[in-house]
Amino acid sequence: MNSFQGVEVIHNVIKTEIDGKIRLFTRSAYPPHYGEKKIGEYREWLPYRSKLASIILSGFIPNIKRDTRLLYLGAATGTTASHVSDILDRGVLYAVEYSPKPFQKFLRLAMERKNIIPILADAGNPESYSGIVEKVDFIYQDIAQRNQVEIFIRNFEFFGKSGSEGIVCIKAKSIDSTAEPDELYRKVIESLESKFEIMGRGDLEPYHRDHTFISVRWRG
Amino acid sequence: MLKLEYSLWFGKFINGRVEKSDNLKKSFIESYNPDPLPFSVYVVGKEIFGNDYYNILRKVALEISEEMIEKELKREDRYVISLVRALDEITSTANLLDERLRELREIKNSELVERFEEKILELKNLRGDIEKEIDSVMRKIAPNLSEIVGEKIGARLLEKAGSLEKLANYPSSTVQVIGAEKSLFKALSRIRKGKKARVPKHGVIFQHPFIKSLPKKKRGKMARFIANKIAIAVKIDYFRGELNETLSEEVRQKYEQLSRG
Repeated sequence: MNSFQGVEVIHNVIKTEIDGKIRLFTRSAYPPHYGEKKIGEYREWLPYRSKLASIILSGFIPNIKRDTRLLYLGAATGTTASHVSDILDRGVLYAVEYSPKPFQKFLRLAMERKNIIPILADAGNPESYSGIVEKVDFIYQDIAQRNQVEIFIRNFEFFGKSGSEGIVCIKAKSIDSTAEPDELYRKVIESLESKFEIMGRGDLEPYHRDHTFISVRWRG
Repeated sequence: MLKLEYSLWFGKFINGRVEKSDNLKKSFIESYNPDPLPFSVYVVGKEIFGNDYYNILRKVALEISEEMIEKELKREDRYVISLVRALDEITSTANLLDERLRELREIKNSELVERFEEKILELKNLRGDIEKEIDSVMRKIAPNLSEIVGEKIGARLLEKAGSLEKLANYPSSTVQVIGAEKSLFKALSRIRKGKKARVPKHGVIFQHPFIKSLPKKKRGKMARFIANKIAIAVKIDYFRGELNETLSEEVRQKYEQLSRG
């Protein structure tokens, strides 16, 4: 009996329906990392815990393949990164995180996964890891900081190549707590447009309130 | 001729040639470049390491990460505490020196007096730099606390508590009156003697704009609420370290509710 008759939306990522609910899983040879369920060789990818999962469930499929070289800014404890690592079974995941505490937990993940390169550094300072990270195919950013868009662009300047894609998760309140979110997103997109082709944008409701994501392609 | 030199994790790249480092950990840490590289590190590295490139990179990265975490976790809260104390001392010294400068000025304007003024100015600049450093370290070691009360008040609380571990173990009632020990114990001793006394509503956290800006009657309620959230925030900071965005949101909502009604 095969309980996984879902759709493979990305390599190793299966979208399936269980008890009337759409759920996401990644095929994984590794044990659970953050308390998620594992059914057979599939680890459930929880949209309430991972913004990338909620992006995929919202219907947007990011261009991540099994051999993608991906730079992940703001890896934290590795909830999302663990699933990305499942996808990239022939790729490389460079994970940057600034806080030592969550990074401690992340390191446990990095030790069991052969495709993760952990880097304890400030994503706002790509100079400090410029000699470590190669030119990548994809940059994923999830850091709640006032100048996060600027940080995103700077990392593309350092590690993007023509055709590289990326996703930036934005929380309006952490950029400007008084601004109207829609107005703010419009401004962010405007500032991205000079350097990127905008591929899509969407809100992460109902999983993450007041969050949006923007998907881009670097003009180089 | 312009010398093109780049620092890579496995060595130096000079004018198209690689000088391999004999200490990969050292070169990994020193691989800083002010501008983007015009090539991919991988392409250069693969010629040296072949198919082992990622294995070797990963091994070095893991070792460095482990060492850095240990170092950072051990020291950072003590670093903030010393910085806060240094800041206080600089502030009071600068004030004293300012007084002296004014006095000197009134008597005579000499070259020496000007140099004196310069030095004081330097001291004030140093104060600004220390504040920036406190902000940045606080963001790193206590993101939740910083989010709720700001880096300055957070650092002040940390300084009074002595360490992040101690602060994480405090109940919220203690957090609420940190910095108001004198009036608290005065009030308690009066109560013990059976006299009437007023227990302080807030200590260091009074500096928070959400408390300061409320009318006196509501400050106690707000202080209690913020102290509650701080106690939770520090526990998250100490044990998990990840930013939880709902806490500061709740504080803001409470403030809006109190300032309206």
